[in-house]
Amino acid sequence: MTTAPSLRSVPTMDGPPEPELVRIRDVIYQTAGIFHPDNKLRLLQDRCGRRMKELKVQTLREYSECLTIRPTRQAELIALLNEITIGETSFFRNQPQLDALRRIVIPKILEAKSNLPLRRLRIWSAGCSTGEEPYTLRMLMLEELNVQLKDWSTEILATDLNERSLAHAEEAVYGSYSTRNLTPSYRNKYFIPQGDKLQVNALARSNISFSRLNLSDDSRMTFMKSMDAIFCCNVLIYFDLASKRRVIQHFFNNLLPHGYLFLGHSESLFGVNDDFRLVHLPGATAYVKGERTPAGGKSL
Amino acid sequence: MTAATATKQALLQRLDGLHQIPTIPAVLAPLLRYLQQPVEQLDVQKVTDLLSQDKSLAEQCLQMANSPLFGRAQNVQSLRGAVVSLAFHHVSDIAMSCGVLNMLPSDKASLDPVVFWEHSLGCALVSRQIARKINFGDPGKAYLAGLLHDLGIIVNLWVLPKEFRAAWEMGKGEGIPLHEAEQKSMGFTHCDSGRLLGERWALAPELIEVISYHHAPEKSAEHTGLVALVQLADLLCRMSGLNYGYVEERQVNLAEESGFGLLAQHSTALKDFDWARLTF
Repeated sequence: MTTAPSLRSVPTMDGPPEPELVRIRDVIYQTAGIFHPDNKLRLLQDRCGRRMKELKVQTLREYSECLTIRPTRQAELIALLNEITIGETSFFRNQPQLDALRRIVIPKILEAKSNLPLRRLRIWSAGCSTGEEPYTLRMLMLEELNVQLKDWSTEILATDLNERSLAHAEEAVYGSYSTRNLTPSYRNKYFIPQGDKLQVNALARSNISFSRLNLSDDSRMTFMKSMDAIFCCNVLIYFDLASKRRVIQHFFNNLLPHGYLFLGHSESLFGVNDDFRLVHLPGATAYVKGERTPAGGKSL
Repeated sequence: MTAATATKQALLQRLDGLHQIPTIPAVLAPLLRYLQQPVEQLDVQKVTDLLSQDKSLAEQCLQMANSPLFGRAQNVQSLRGAVVSLAFHHVSDIAMSCGVLNMLPSDKASLDPVVFWEHSLGCALVSRQIARKINFGDPGKAYLAGLLHDLGIIVNLWVLPKEFRAAWEMGKGEGIPLHEAEQKSMGFTHCDSGRLLGERWALAPELIEVISYHHAPEKSAEHTGLVALVQLADLLCRMSGLNYGYVEERQVNLAEESGFGLLAQHSTALKDFDWARLTF
């Protein structure tokens, strides 16, 4: 078997990186804040390779022009970002985090908002990928509808950079891999069989709005206001420190004073941001706003 | 006399006439004394001989030497091999860990002894790791302090099993820390009973302080840093699933715990420590 002609011209990573690849890396970084260090350039090269095959483009130089000079450059940039930001996720991916949300975080948020006239909860799934996370959150809210959230309205905002992922999310049809953690109860209550797949039903699809958002787009980030909780799991791993800091600062501003930020299992704000305070919940961690107290002075 | 004082009195009386708590396995005391010498003076054969006096302990040490907890890549076949490959301080860590396991009753009516042991071992490992990362004193001492901090629970399990069971069930039912449940239902905590046993066994003063004050490090007088370190390691373990067999329904901010400020006075490296990602 021979290698596809479009890939033959892509150089290997031995030796100094290809200048055109470095140029593409810079374009991606400037547009989306996603930085590929030298040891990840092979991954970027592979993603570019997929687009080059699609466009029947032979060289990286030519492909770089598709991204920067040609009239369709904006569309091509989105197509390449779609290739770069394909996420791996599933329903109920991090059960301890969800348990902590339901049993500890929601009661604290409701308590903080108890004196406000507007009984509304706003949760943002930032980097929602193909939708499993926001639908999971919606199902949890529905479970609490007649318990903690009686008389409360809930709204889930789900955003991602990847248009293809968002289209998948809105279609809401999932295979066995991403539905592997579903209990029979959730499966029966919130899904409809579609051949050998499952579709999220209308109830669990209600009160969620999906939209495309670039976390590095400062002007749009400024408008994501009044959040009670933000979930941004395994998204910031794509960002370099400077971009990460900017995004986290936006999250800090987007959250209400009692707000919570949840990151992925192995992620930390250590060395990224000093404004958020780390809290340990059973089996999970989160970051809270709230006033700082001197070390050793308990406030909770 | 209130019910709580009566229970405390009962505890003291029972502890006085106590025969059922197994003592530290006989071999451990001489072994620990021997290992306190400078490492250059230690003799592998002597350590092996001391350990071999207790066959079941020797077997457990060998098993644990082969476990991933102690970072073994190759299989260790002989006790001598275990002693050599683990270095002497690990041998004392392992021997003490097995010793704690041997002290536990087999009754699983309340806190499962294995779950308790896992918490103790977890706390020992986390304490050692924090001590290493922030350059705090002797990591081996931190390990031992983490391992023995809940000695009082062993006392409670043996001496007042029914009363302790009620306290544990209250803790589980309300999702509150065990020492708070003990205080509410028995009028004293495992810190009090642990202190009694620690003093009777004439444990090192720093260990007695850790056992007595790991839920209130600000009360410790001499070894505040070590007590504070174990308080934080204990909290981390309990919040991360290495708990007493139930989930504490609460949110903990380590930086606001009294131990955090106290430990910061002993180590400037604490500010460079990532509590969200404690890695081994």
